[in-house]
Amino acid sequence: MGALYSRSEEETERLGERLGKLLRPGDVVAFTGGLGMGKTCFVRGMARGMGLDVPVYSPTFSLVNEYRGEKALYHFDMYRIGDLDDLYSTGFFDYLDTDAVLAVEWSENIAGALPEHTITVAFARDGDEARTITVKGDGRFADFGD
Amino acid sequence: MLILGIDSSALAASAAVWDGEKVLSQCTVNNRLTHSQTLLPMVQHVLSHAGIALGDLGLLAVAAGPGSFTGLRIGLATVKGLGCGSGIPCLGVSTLEALAYNLEGFAGTACCAMDARVKQVYQAYFALAPGRDGRGTVARLNDDRAVSLEALEQELKDAHSPVYFVGDGAELCWRQFGEKLEQGFLAPAPLRWQKGESVARLAGRMLEQGGQPVPAEALAPSYLRLSQAERERKAREEARG
Repeated sequence: MGALYSRSEEETERLGERLGKLLRPGDVVAFTGGLGMGKTCFVRGMARGMGLDVPVYSPTFSLVNEYRGEKALYHFDMYRIGDLDDLYSTGFFDYLDTDAVLAVEWSENIAGALPEHTITVAFARDGDEARTITVKGDGRFADFGD
Repeated sequence: MLILGIDSSALAASAAVWDGEKVLSQCTVNNRLTHSQTLLPMVQHVLSHAGIALGDLGLLAVAAGPGSFTGLRIGLATVKGLGCGSGIPCLGVSTLEALAYNLEGFAGTACCAMDARVKQVYQAYFALAPGRDGRGTVARLNDDRAVSLEALEQELKDAHSPVYFVGDGAELCWRQFGEKLEQGFLAPAPLRWQKGESVARLAGRMLEQGGQPVPAEALAPSYLRLSQAERERKAREEARG
């Protein structure tokens, strides 16, 4: 658990890959931090870290992208989710019942509906390209910031 | 009349053929949400095990909600497909009322509850009374709704007759407050989850009481609004001015 520093999209992606290697079925990873922070880059790395050889793209229009291989990763964008009824109709609650990993961008919008053991990844801007990325979760992520 | 009953409104999915007096065949799975793959084969199985063809059915009954968004859509789409292709009339029933039929013949109140997440359940009460001829009565006491577990606990804290928790939210209610209730009972496991049979029996009862089936195109899911959402939306609208 700790803060990481990234100077570029490539570094952000590598951090995502590191996190992806630690993930287990059923994990929910919730992102916060606003537009253009590199969340999708991070998820692209996560997918690779999970061993998924798939193109990862922003789910802004689709609301959810499904990446499937030996494991499954469902990639949500909650930017347009205004209330629990919107959330219900994305099928989010049904995805929680599967063995997939869920990556949730704009999780600020569904803060009250995230499950108890959610792993959080907060992005903060440190100039044009640089980002501080804070990961919080269980013991697996204890030395993630080192 | 032969009725096909289908429920895929939550993790359990079930299909059954009911002939008005007994179940000819029934198939239930209760594992993970793969209804899009399991439901049609289940329908095929129950029809062939009952020794009938789709065209022999007089009614297609489906649990139309409340329940899981994905589950309801799969159930409704399946029945619409079968109904449009065959012309067999359809009837959508309340998932919660069908759950109450799991306990037909009991005495007390059915508290039918499905997990709606965010500490809420889809819920309705039904008064249960046994019948000596094997047909009990199941009488609705309130409309289907989404309600917080906290509010439900308040409603039930002074219950003075048996309350049976049934549905996939039953254990949630049980753990939260039900086991502390002197008159609280968790429905027996074989009766706790959705059954195609109950959907079919309820549909049959509705027809007896003058209910009208609809063409498949007219079937619609009944999603329920989560109660907190309304408050949050109002708060947001007020904040915007």
